[in-house]
Amino acid sequence: MSHCYDCKEVFRKLDDYLDRSLEPEELESVRAHLELCEECANCCEYESSLLRCVREKLSRIDCPGDLMKRISARLAEVERRATN
Amino acid sequence: MAKKGGGTRATSAARAEFEALLQPLLESAYGYAVNLTRNEADAEDLIQEAALLAFRGFGSFTPGTNFKGWFFKILTNAYISSYRKKKRRPTSVDFDDVPEMYMYQKSSETGLLKRDPDPASQLMDKIDVEAVKDALDELPDEYRMVATLYFMQELSYQEIAEVLDIPVGTVRSRLHRGRRILQKLLWRVAEERGIVGELASQEGN
Repeated sequence: MSHCYDCKEVFRKLDDYLDRSLEPEELESVRAHLELCEECANCCEYESSLLRCVREKLSRIDCPGDLMKRISARLAEVERRATN
Repeated sequence: MAKKGGGTRATSAARAEFEALLQPLLESAYGYAVNLTRNEADAEDLIQEAALLAFRGFGSFTPGTNFKGWFFKILTNAYISSYRKKKRRPTSVDFDDVPEMYMYQKSSETGLLKRDPDPASQLMDKIDVEAVKDALDELPDEYRMVATLYFMQELSYQEIAEVLDIPVGTVRSRLHRGRRILQKLLWRVAEERGIVGELASQEGN
């Protein structure tokens, strides 16, 4: 049977909650607390937004357009040498 | 088309199959390599090396299983073998226990939480991509690799554990600690660039 979490418990479990790695019962207990506690809900929303922003910025990478072509050429060369 | 012998056709078919699997994840693999090496030229060399190693070992890959995880593991090991030794970056950050929810607490202390319905985005919008990448780069290798796989590839703990060949519990603790240290680094950037002061002095909504 799940019990109600207090702010301290939710605080400790927030990382796991954001990573979706809590057991169903724990998840339910955290969610129940977040529905009732504005402070914890704000903290959770802040953390979630922060992770989103970091992910978005780190994902901005310009992959060279012809990289696959160069890899393919190298692998073809390896193949040619192996069959000669 | 030139006439090909049976052996060559089979080899080319294997290469075509390999490349068809590699192509969809090349962009994310390149991004991972750039974040590991912090240098586009080295990143491309690393990808080339990993592709070669993976192609040579393609016979050991079980069709229908997780090619991305398999390739990223090879890529990670190639980085560890060839590049990690070269980097001896002294860090300026104190890695002693950083409190949880560091930026939230700091934002609260400086009154930034009241300024905007999304105070995290409001702050992060003023920190450029290069500063975020520099902050990631300051993390010790073991935290940076976990964080990079988490942020860029959105892998689960289990998938990260398989790529890095470490226990899931280790992934969890390194990721959580790495994120906290990253928050401390980003807050330092925000303070040094006057972003905190600027936002704190603005009128609230």
